[in-house]
Amino acid sequence: MVREKITVSTRTLQWKCVESAADSKRLLYGRFILSPLMKGQADTIGIAMRRALLGEIEGTCITRAKSEKISHEYATIMGIQESVHEILMNLKEIVLRSNLYGTCEASICVRGPGYVTAQDIILPPYVEIVDNTQHIASLTEPIELVIGLQIEKNRGYLIKAPNTFQDGSYPIDPVFMPVRNANHSIHSYENGNKEILFLEIWTNGSLTPKEALHEASRNLIDLLIPFLHTKEENLSLEDNQHIVPLPPFTFYDKLAKLTKNKKKMALKSIFIDQSELPPRIYNCLKRSNIYTLLDLLNNSQEDLMKMEHFRIEDVKQILGILEKNFVIDLPKNKF
Amino acid sequence: MSTIPGFNQIQFEGFCRFIDQGLAEELSKFPKIEDTNQEIDFEFFLERYQLVEPLIKERDAVYESLTYSSELYVSARLIWKNDRRRYIQEQTILIGKIPIMTSLGAFIVNGIYRIVINQILQSPGIYYQSELNDNGISVYTGTIISDWGGRLELEIDRKARIWVRVSRQQKLSILVLLSAMGLNIREILENVCYPELFLSFLNDKKKIGSKENAILEFYQQFACVEGDPVFSESLSKDLQKKFFQQRCELGGIGRRNMNRRLNLDIPQNNTFLLPRDILAAADRLIRIKFGMGTLDDMNHLQNKRIRSVADLLQEQFGLALVRLENMARGNIYAALKHNWTPTPQNLVNSTPLTDTYKVFFRLHPLSQVLDRTNPLTQIVHGRKLSYLGPGGLTARTATFPIRDIHPSHYGRICPIDTSEGINVGLIGSLAIHARIGRWGSLESPFYQISERSKGAQMLYLSPGRDEYYMVAAGNSLALNQGIQEEQVVPARYRQEFLTIAWEQVQLRSIFAFQYFSIGASLIPFIEHNDANRALMSSNMQRQAVPLSQSEKCIVGTGLEGQAALDSGALAIAEHEGKIFYTDTDKILLSGNGDTLRIPLVMYQRSNKNTCMHQKPQVRRGKCIKKGQILAYGAATVGGELALGKNVLVAYMPWEGYNFEDAVLISERLVYEDIYTSFHIRKYEIQINQGPERVTNEIPHLEVHLLRNLDKNGIVMLGSWVETGDILVGKLTPQMVKESSYAPEDRLLRTILGMRVYTSKETCLKLPIGGRGRVIDVRWVQSSKTDETEKTESIRVYILQKREIKVGDKVAGRHGNKGIISKILPRQDMPYLQDGRPVDMVFNPLGVPSRMNVGQIFESSLGLAGDLLDRHYRIAPFDERYEQEASRKLVFSELYEASKQTANPWIFEPESPGKSRIFDGRTGDPFEQPVIIGKPYILKLIHQVDDKIHGRSSGRYSRLTQQPLKGRAKKGGQRVGEMEVWALEGFGVAYILQEMLTYKSDHIRARQEVLGTIIFGGRIPTPEDAPESFRLFVRELRSLALELNHFLVSEKTFQLNRKEA
Repeated sequence: MVREKITVSTRTLQWKCVESAADSKRLLYGRFILSPLMKGQADTIGIAMRRALLGEIEGTCITRAKSEKISHEYATIMGIQESVHEILMNLKEIVLRSNLYGTCEASICVRGPGYVTAQDIILPPYVEIVDNTQHIASLTEPIELVIGLQIEKNRGYLIKAPNTFQDGSYPIDPVFMPVRNANHSIHSYENGNKEILFLEIWTNGSLTPKEALHEASRNLIDLLIPFLHTKEENLSLEDNQHIVPLPPFTFYDKLAKLTKNKKKMALKSIFIDQSELPPRIYNCLKRSNIYTLLDLLNNSQEDLMKMEHFRIEDVKQILGILEKNFVIDLPKNKF
Repeated sequence: MSTIPGFNQIQFEGFCRFIDQGLAEELSKFPKIEDTNQEIDFEFFLERYQLVEPLIKERDAVYESLTYSSELYVSARLIWKNDRRRYIQEQTILIGKIPIMTSLGAFIVNGIYRIVINQILQSPGIYYQSELNDNGISVYTGTIISDWGGRLELEIDRKARIWVRVSRQQKLSILVLLSAMGLNIREILENVCYPELFLSFLNDKKKIGSKENAILEFYQQFACVEGDPVFSESLSKDLQKKFFQQRCELGGIGRRNMNRRLNLDIPQNNTFLLPRDILAAADRLIRIKFGMGTLDDMNHLQNKRIRSVADLLQEQFGLALVRLENMARGNIYAALKHNWTPTPQNLVNSTPLTDTYKVFFRLHPLSQVLDRTNPLTQIVHGRKLSYLGPGGLTARTATFPIRDIHPSHYGRICPIDTSEGINVGLIGSLAIHARIGRWGSLESPFYQISERSKGAQMLYLSPGRDEYYMVAAGNSLALNQGIQEEQVVPARYRQEFLTIAWEQVQLRSIFAFQYFSIGASLIPFIEHNDANRALMSSNMQRQAVPLSQSEKCIVGTGLEGQAALDSGALAIAEHEGKIFYTDTDKILLSGNGDTLRIPLVMYQRSNKNTCMHQKPQVRRGKCIKKGQILAYGAATVGGELALGKNVLVAYMPWEGYNFEDAVLISERLVYEDIYTSFHIRKYEIQINQGPERVTNEIPHLEVHLLRNLDKNGIVMLGSWVETGDILVGKLTPQMVKESSYAPEDRLLRTILGMRVYTSKETCLKLPIGGRGRVIDVRWVQSSKTDETEKTESIRVYILQKREIKVGDKVAGRHGNKGIISKILPRQDMPYLQDGRPVDMVFNPLGVPSRMNVGQIFESSLGLAGDLLDRHYRIAPFDERYEQEASRKLVFSELYEASKQTANPWIFEPESPGKSRIFDGRTGDPFEQPVIIGKPYILKLIHQVDDKIHGRSSGRYSRLTQQPLKGRAKKGGQRVGEMEVWALEGFGVAYILQEMLTYKSDHIRARQEVLGTIIFGGRIPTPEDAPESFRLFVRELRSLALELNHFLVSEKTFQLNRKEA
């Protein structure tokens, strides 16, 4: 894959853009090298960068369009050559460039006849259009085309069910993928001890290959930052292994629900031996002077845990039994 | 080179024949009607009949659910012959409406496109065959087949006695038949060539004496009468009418065939079976028995005839005229009796004819709903041939030889395009160039090669004739006149394949596709495919869903253009002119001084729920020629059929996700809308306009479900609806009986204080799986019901956009089909050496055993075409030009692509067509080079959304109390015998019990489960037998068999009877 000999200093790791081309406003190409790398390193970085470039880079897209006059996506508007659906498809294609967080609004307000292109979109200052000539619609009559747009910056793609919005706006399934294609190749030299990594990047113009490279590496570094912390953090992930598998609030939550459902006096009259507890738990509870359900409910989960021989599984079991028998504690009638 | 005939032409020609000849022929049979006193004559003028142009447009007929038909007017004359009044009254009268064929070759009946497919039948006539009987002795038979399919068999046995079989019953002596037909012994013996055989026969059977006896015996056989019927004149007449006239009518074709086979010269208009025929047939049978003369091949196309639309419609017209005649007779009689003055018009009305056609189009098996999945389906449907239907075969009894390909099919019936399953070989497809000849025979064109005329002369030959010519098979051409070896070509002669010198060839085929149907001729590299897979492909192309954005195929056969053109999916300029207005839904064209408004199809539903849509392709102000394409339809691009998409494919295993033909796809196909299609569903509700009312106030239901209704109670246009939403709110008044509710239901109502309603909600709800955008709402008045009970219906059309998803079926054009098993992000897909991730991963094991190598050629050539930006149109059998022509072409194109794009990996000489590719997850190259390519892949109509189904609760069958089956009825999955074994094998007794009782037909147990769910407690174990077993016991009882069980008490030995 190497076509020209490139002299690279063998000392420090360096990157360089060796080739860049712009086939059109919406197709940019760049080729980068990184060297010198030790044997095997190029592959490690290359595949990670390729995947990061393809999967991790954010893009800006129109996610939603709204127009007053349209009855539905498949309707036709007098004086417009395209159907609404085709206009939405054209809007989906429009490439934007922004440093936006979250969403923002934009609009199109054009009077016909004439062609509506991307440059007719009225955008907030921090969003700009990459290719002004992108076609949106062609108006054949002197009519007004007003479309409100919503712009979002995100990653990957979205396919939305339109049902969540009943306000007459139409979702455009956006594709936030500015990198069209990425490739890496490795060239080794010095008897295969050193390697040069080549990265090829094609983008859709909303960011240059160089920017894509920056962003991809930043995203990659962000993902690796946790490992840089010297001390392990107390993530719930690790806690769970030896402390409590139950989220701390559920027990109370459920009990509260139960208490609401039933009157307290009812609880008082129900003894725990009615609730088919396993003997061991039953004995544990008995030893701690818990006789009725009300007594049981007065203890929090931590209290229960403090009892002798009481294990976390038992709490779960109690919960299960309570829920099963308590809600439906009517006498079992034979049919 | 001749052009390919229009694909709908078969249908058009048929219909024209009916209008031009059929009508006149049947009208000429209409008799002069006289009343009993011979006072009045009523007759039609044959030469004056008119069809009036339909009052409505084709499109309106579909929209309003009407029939697209034209009125038939006939001049009629009423002659008064009695003395008081003696005059002639003439009038042009309306006798009914005839549905008219539309430009699709179909009819519109009640708003539904219907097509009448051609039937292929055994031609009436006589056929000699030899069969081995039970003792292994060959028996010679001559079968006389009548016009409607009835059979009469002559059979000669070992002792050279001739027997007759009428409809496979006991055999009779031929003398009985001949006597019954009115000949006496002397006449018989005088008119046969071998009277001694008949004489010997006579000695055996003494009892044939008189004609009466013969008729009696024959009648007994024919009508299966028990006992001894007494001879009477009426019996003789009955036999004449039922047997000799109805069952033995040969028809025009039959008479012609009989004359030809038996060397007779009976005039053409004598269409019944005559004694002379039988005598000649018997003579011929004797000769064949003794080795003189040839046997017939029943399956030869020569002995088949096509019953086309023309014949079927003509037959119905004849039937209608008989009814009309009876009506006229009745009315004349009534008029004279009640003394009203008849006029020609009030003697007849339009109901007999109109009703006959209505019934025909609705109920006749050969009148089918036009399948409109995609444009290809439409044209292919009209070119079908069926052996089934009235007068034909039945699918269950048809034998293997009938279904098989016959050498005479060459160029007439496609050898590969037929349906799979029970109808295999019985429903075929016409070859591209075939046409229907005069006597219902299928003709195929050939070029005549003769020394004298240099220019090739084309002639159409019927099935019997081309066998006697040397026909060059066309799979190898004598291109180089100089070389001796190439002067020898393969040829067909008398159903054999020979290799003969080029000079001896008399005919050659005109076109490489000549022997294929349209479906098969759209397969590139078909010659590299196994016929079974080509069959699947031609069927699957008809199931392809039009995609939201179509794409031309890179590798095609060149027939795509005409297929799209003839399908009617495109909007075509009817005359030249200038466009002065275009819009999304119409084009206005001015030319010849007037303006033509061409309405375009906008998101319309086809009967397979696919979406039909036309996109205008002309700009305002452009001048248009006649026949120019104005708008592309669904699944057409650039005037060519475009059913699928060219996608990058790799043939390799991938983590088992392409096991058993499953297909792995990239997310790109989802988010870039590569395989996104639109589906429009129609939901309809009948409204009984008396008591029922449509409203948006339905107290039974939650407000949330009613959110889309407007103030009239109908769903709003453009609203998004989900499963369970109300489309039309309707209330039906109801007499409420408190006791009609289930006890627990009543209890719940009391507890929760629910109101008791005086009306029932009978809303139209969106069924399971339905979701989408409401694009149209129509009120339709149904015209067919009586005036007293006017019913209306509301139709709601919902458009759904479906991306490709796991479970959808995709297929190539070589019978390579599969189900999507997983959708991977693009970075995880294997990628090529330039970083491009592939779109689909097929299983390489799907190729060798299926023998559809065409897909490999196609994908490689597709890749080359994609890189070079070229499109290839390849006629089949390019191997006739040189050895391995396909491979050479593909490799040379790949090589060029690799050179032009400077990508050496596209063509690697040590593994041409294959390339090293990388795993997207690890970046490692795969062990072996992998075939990559760009084939054309279709998305088929079998989609999970239409099939996925589960049942929690639902209805039960009335009788067995088992859950219903089928998704439409929200049915359950059958736990059959083998499933029970599986559960037994795992020892899961309780699950098995649950399957057989609570979840199925144990009524009491399943009610108890309901109670237990509400009130808690253990689910009781059912003790007695489930309902279907009880049903079985009762069925046995109805056969007087008692099945019961008793409990015997150990102490008292008392029997305790248990009711099963």
